[in-house]
Amino acid sequence: MLFSSYVPFVNGGGRFIVEWLAEKLRERSHEVELAYLPFSDNPKDLLWQMTAFRLVKIDRADRVICFRPPSHLLQHPNKVLWFIHHLRGFYDLWNTDGAPPDTRYYKALRRAIFQADQVGFNEARAVFANSGVVQKRLKKFNDVDSSVLYPPLLDPTAYRNRGYGNEVVYISRLGRYKRQHLLVEAMAHATTAVRVRICGDEPGGVYSEELLRLASKLGVADHVSIENRWISEEEKRDVIGRSLAVAYFPLDEDSYGYPSLEAAHSCKPIITTTDSGGVLEFVVHEHNGVVCDPEPKAVAEALDRLYSDRELVKALGREAAETVEKLHITWDNVIARLLA
Amino acid sequence: MRGGAEELASHLCARLNSTPGVIAEVLRVPFSWEPFERLADEIFLNRTLRLSNVDRVIGLKFPAYLIPHHTKVLWLLHQYRQAYDLRDRGESNIPQTPAGEKICQLVRRADAEVFSGCRSIFTLSRVTQERLKRYNGFEGSVLMQPLNYPELFANRGDNGYLFAGGRINPGKRQYLLVEAMAETKSGAKLIVAGPPDTPEDANRLQELVRRLKLEDRVTLDLGYHPVAKIADYVNHARACACLPVDEDSVAYVTMEAASASKPVLTLTDSGGVLQLVVNGETGCVTSPDAKSVAEAIDLLCSDAARSAQMGRATRRLWDSFEVTWPKTIEKLLA
Repeated sequence: MLFSSYVPFVNGGGRFIVEWLAEKLRERSHEVELAYLPFSDNPKDLLWQMTAFRLVKIDRADRVICFRPPSHLLQHPNKVLWFIHHLRGFYDLWNTDGAPPDTRYYKALRRAIFQADQVGFNEARAVFANSGVVQKRLKKFNDVDSSVLYPPLLDPTAYRNRGYGNEVVYISRLGRYKRQHLLVEAMAHATTAVRVRICGDEPGGVYSEELLRLASKLGVADHVSIENRWISEEEKRDVIGRSLAVAYFPLDEDSYGYPSLEAAHSCKPIITTTDSGGVLEFVVHEHNGVVCDPEPKAVAEALDRLYSDRELVKALGREAAETVEKLHITWDNVIARLLA
Repeated sequence: MRGGAEELASHLCARLNSTPGVIAEVLRVPFSWEPFERLADEIFLNRTLRLSNVDRVIGLKFPAYLIPHHTKVLWLLHQYRQAYDLRDRGESNIPQTPAGEKICQLVRRADAEVFSGCRSIFTLSRVTQERLKRYNGFEGSVLMQPLNYPELFANRGDNGYLFAGGRINPGKRQYLLVEAMAETKSGAKLIVAGPPDTPEDANRLQELVRRLKLEDRVTLDLGYHPVAKIADYVNHARACACLPVDEDSVAYVTMEAASASKPVLTLTDSGGVLQLVVNGETGCVTSPDAKSVAEAIDLLCSDAARSAQMGRATRRLWDSFEVTWPKTIEKLLA
């Protein structure tokens, strides 16, 4: 049984990892069921919901793999965690903007969350983290030892290199923390004929409107395509396959992010930034991509450099594909370890 | 475990998603009811979950319909019947003890709170509607389950056999059809096709056919079949049989027969099926014993013209119910 939490109608990495694992387990003739319970991050509802997750009874399964909190609180004699993030407002983001205020109420709530998490972790037969970042947090905040188990793409072989165009692509959900704006701003400093394509889904479309305004204000609209829409797997593979390189620089991401893997399987270099967190577990500067400062000028230099040096692009792209092998990012590895 | 409810939920979800302006997801909550005290945990945990980012909830089953939401419409497939009618009939896992009584009351109180707070209540059948009225004092309107592939079921001729589709288990009483076949005088033929719940269910039925030496007149096509194959059986049948014990709903099998303009054979205690089967008009309703069932089979299988006439009436009655997905969606989103 795969057990996780979700926010209705939000599709993203947290759901893919569960659904893809289910598919791969079934391909290997395992009997799998999936249970998702809704979870709202309203702080006042947290403890109640944690209690609810704790009370869930799954007695027909030999083994339960839990992912997103608070699914790790499930009681089961054979529980394995593939932990993808903490309730970050109470952990690494505590005392930052957007985290709950540092009041007595929230301090007490934070203590309660820590205690509950401790129980959930200690009961588990094994704890895996989806990235080194999460592994370090587990050690730092909960004193829990875990192993890193990187999540592969659903169908890695579908990604192929289809040549090298003049376009650097950023394909991901559109949002401020993904910082597509940095790529638009960089274009104002680029001196080559490099082009940029940004696409992804953004309900509401506020940020994508901003990006469009930014591009025309900076006079780069002719070289930048911005599309707020969900693009199909097929189209995505095609766009990445023909690109010059892939840009991916979320702010302090927990994991390397599927865009990094999509680039690597297409033998494309990845442009990321020094503050992108988990992405840096995969991308090493001048080895399989370019890691630059999160500044428009630095990103522009990276764009121009790759545009002008195609041999470098090819070498970095090849190395990116190699990195997948070196880090054992395969379903066979994942399943062997989760079922050990 | 997957069954009719999961099937209905996934079809409803697909139909909602093809409705302009609507995005839908199915939420399934694991549910375990043993030991019976566990029901208290289930009620608590479902009431404690929170649904954000959702405009409307369509609740189908206990205990998932207990999850709080400001705009909830119920389409009741299942209450926890073991706290209601099944308990009265002594078929409940909740014992007749003070502790059992408490749990039973807890289920009923949780239900009452949901029913009073929701925007509207639909039930899948008249039986569920009556139960809701009798036990909980709430009015619901019947909203039957449409066929998922209505276009597949249409009259394609009469090959003379009686067809019984659907899941195979003692509660669906295929055994009674087989026993009745031994007493028929018209040389009627019967085809039974569907997935047995357990290997024993399959064995029992096969054994019965052998024992009664009915191999030449009774065909058992056991297993899970694609809907196109079932449609083929239905579309060429003389008549269809559906004999469940006190079924909640009209039952898919009956709706498929009606869509294909076939008369339906059912029993006086088959519950919701009786909404579509009027004895002598749209099929035969007999008492649940082999002799009566045999007489009905003989009637249907010996008079093709009469059967065809009743079949057309079944279709007309079914059409008058206006049970279609667009109508259903319209009501659930009203």
